[in-house]
Amino acid sequence: MKQKKAQWPWHVLTVLVLIGLAGALYYATSLMSYEWRWNRVPQYFAYHAEESQRAADISTVSELVRKGDKAEVTLRNDAGDEQHLTVDDNSLQVAQGDDVAEGDVIGVTRHWAAGPLMWGLWTTLWLSVVSGVLGLLIGLATGLCRLSNNPTLRDLSTIYVELVRGTPLLVQIFIFYFFIGTVMNLSREFAGIAALSLFTGAYVAEIIRSGVQSIARGQNEAARSLGLSAGQSMRHVVLPQAFKRVLPPLAGQFISLVKDTSLVSVIAITELLKSGREVITTSFSPFEILFCVAGLYLLINLPLSKIASRLERRLAQSD
Amino acid sequence: MIEVRDLVKVFDTRGQVVRAVDNVSTAVAKGEVLVVIGPSGSGKSTFLRCLNGLEEFDSGSVSIDGLQLADPKTDVNAYRREVGMVFQHFNLFPHMTVLENLCLAQKVVRKRGKKEREAKALALLEKVGIAQKANEYPSRLSGGQQQRVAIARALAMEPKVMLFDEPTSALDPEMVGEVLDVMKTLAVEGMTMVCVTHEMGFAREVADRVLFFDHGKLLEDASPAEFFDAPKDPRAQAFLRQVL
Repeated sequence: MKQKKAQWPWHVLTVLVLIGLAGALYYATSLMSYEWRWNRVPQYFAYHAEESQRAADISTVSELVRKGDKAEVTLRNDAGDEQHLTVDDNSLQVAQGDDVAEGDVIGVTRHWAAGPLMWGLWTTLWLSVVSGVLGLLIGLATGLCRLSNNPTLRDLSTIYVELVRGTPLLVQIFIFYFFIGTVMNLSREFAGIAALSLFTGAYVAEIIRSGVQSIARGQNEAARSLGLSAGQSMRHVVLPQAFKRVLPPLAGQFISLVKDTSLVSVIAITELLKSGREVITTSFSPFEILFCVAGLYLLINLPLSKIASRLERRLAQSD
Repeated sequence: MIEVRDLVKVFDTRGQVVRAVDNVSTAVAKGEVLVVIGPSGSGKSTFLRCLNGLEEFDSGSVSIDGLQLADPKTDVNAYRREVGMVFQHFNLFPHMTVLENLCLAQKVVRKRGKKEREAKALALLEKVGIAQKANEYPSRLSGGQQQRVAIARALAMEPKVMLFDEPTSALDPEMVGEVLDVMKTLAVEGMTMVCVTHEMGFAREVADRVLFFDHGKLLEDASPAEFFDAPKDPRAQAFLRQVL
């Protein structure tokens, strides 16, 4: 008889192992007398920006109305022209009747602004989405070319896949930026996206090809015997089934892509990693920032694998 | 209705040449039921697959109502619309419900409206006795039910001819009957049918003519009574001794 054993002691052990690892890490950093300054980090995500409000002309403060934590200031010059300014009350530099000169600071307005890490995250996100969509389209077309009966299509797609898979992405990015980018006068973003999507396309092509080939031949035969053309059979019968099967490797490929976008920092696109490196030069807190950068990549990728597994489960309902 | 003339299909795998269909000529009249039998590897399935072009033949000709299959001007897809096919392993589309299986080709190929194609599909499911499974996925059906869906799917295109490629060979024995019953009903209704099968009882009862194949050659073409009671070819005699 099979006995059901309790699982929770093992989960407790997992937690203990993780705590042990974290402790070891802490001990290691204490050996090199690193001072952790996590309080410096948040300002690089978002900060309270100040914008000075200045007088436009030599004038007098003719009216000053306080509304909550805001102050509305009206300035009037000799010609009788009025200037209205709204500043934060606690930054107010003038009082009713004061004379001010042109360029004098009346007060400041404060608002939240995204810090470099947020901008980096945003750049990484849109680079990933654009390259991912393009890579999927390129991969689908190339994968079908690999299966084509036309020798030229087959040869060209094979050459493309082998060239791209056989060379490092970093080299491809350099070639796109410094060679093709210079010849065709491409922007760095364009060159980066082109390199990333062609790279992803080659891998997606192989995933699609293997997926299509894994669908039993009888499926295509049944579709063709009903009068569907080769294209219709591919679109309605083979590809939907193949897509279901290749979803896990495809998700893996897109997760890879998100991480690979960090490589375009070498052509000076300020994505997440480059933003992080820039922040390190001003904050002098390399470990904290690098951990944050890693955490932000996780923040993109964990939901991505979650979505993929959910999609997988939904498609599995016909099994 | 179907004309087959001097049909030859050669398989060449790594220099090993097999004449799977060797110079076969025959004809099927409208409403006729042909049963093709023979030992495994005799070329009967290949012969059947040549009839709708799933297998490209090397020489000879196949035509339905004068439409030549091998003619480059013939639209193969249009030709196949007129020829329904049922496979040994059903080949239902697993990602679609039963109803969607029946509607796909009606929609994509025949361009029928949603109401029309669903009414047609439900009527056919009623006919093969599984209307209550319309919204199930094929994986939830037994083999016999799947094969009946496959027959209904082919019928939804309103073909002139139905081809059956060992439709009961992959079924558990208790499910063979339900599929054969559907096929008998079709035969009674006057459908033109070509069946590759090992069901000798079906052949004797339903067939108008029996074709016996061995090594790609059509050795015997006779009525079931003649074939089963007095086979002329010695290989047919040997085959029947083994299976009956």
